[in-house]
Amino acid sequence: MAASIAPECNDIKEKYDTCFLKWYSEKYLRGNTKSNDCDELFGKYKSCLHKALKDKGIDGMLDDARKSSSETDAEFLKKS
Amino acid sequence: MKVFSTTCTFDYSWDEVSTANWRKYCPWNDKATHVVGVDTVSRTVDPKTGILRTERLITCDQSVPAWLLSLFGGSTTSHVYEVSYVDPISKKVTMCSTNLTWSNVLNVRETVTYSPSSASPTSHTEFTQEAKITALCGGWQKIKNKVEEASVERFRENASRGREGFETVLEMSRRVFGEQRELEKALL
Repeated sequence: MAASIAPECNDIKEKYDTCFLKWYSEKYLRGNTKSNDCDELFGKYKSCLHKALKDKGIDGMLDDARKSSSETDAEFLKKS
Repeated sequence: MKVFSTTCTFDYSWDEVSTANWRKYCPWNDKATHVVGVDTVSRTVDPKTGILRTERLITCDQSVPAWLLSLFGGSTTSHVYEVSYVDPISKKVTMCSTNLTWSNVLNVRETVTYSPSSASPTSHTEFTQEAKITALCGGWQKIKNKVEEASVERFRENASRGREGFETVLEMSRRVFGEQRELEKALL
């Protein structure tokens, strides 16, 4: 799996990514979209990452970009 | 604005491709060494549609032509924001990316999709990629054109390397999943 931008988050990221990939291929793609096996790991990874993004000063530009995603949300989050 | 677009077909099912896509930038892919970090910032499943929405921060470190660096400033590290949507019912992955670095001078919007191929939907997957590149720096059209052309050229290079690298990831994924299944069967 690819590395994190923050080396201190690599361990927890690896655990989360492994969990996610298993969930995605074994549950999500088989119709069990409501299961949330990896939420706890994701929470831990996110809190590590958020601190690093803040320290590196990337959080601001990321927030700006996130605001503009409403356009693609409107197009791709609707039912097919 | 300049547009770069390409399509190709992968000799793998959509399930395989959409799974391997999450590890496109792993050590198996030796053709994407310019990607140094891939971080998931948010991930949710829409309860009504089942669509999986993921936001990622992708960090690249790649060589940039010296004249471009002198225009844009000194760093070769750049960040990309990607939001992706997986629709498990219609079997479609859509990934929309935009550049965070140099965004005041250059706007790059890329859309990538993966869908089952219309000719053989259970075994092949169609890939499309489109990038719209606009130089925003005020002033000379000549410079804008040059900036856009250099960016399109880099896209072209990375696209063919990207495909090659992803083929390796697909092959490795199939092998590893196969071995896992064998192991599970043996243990049952």
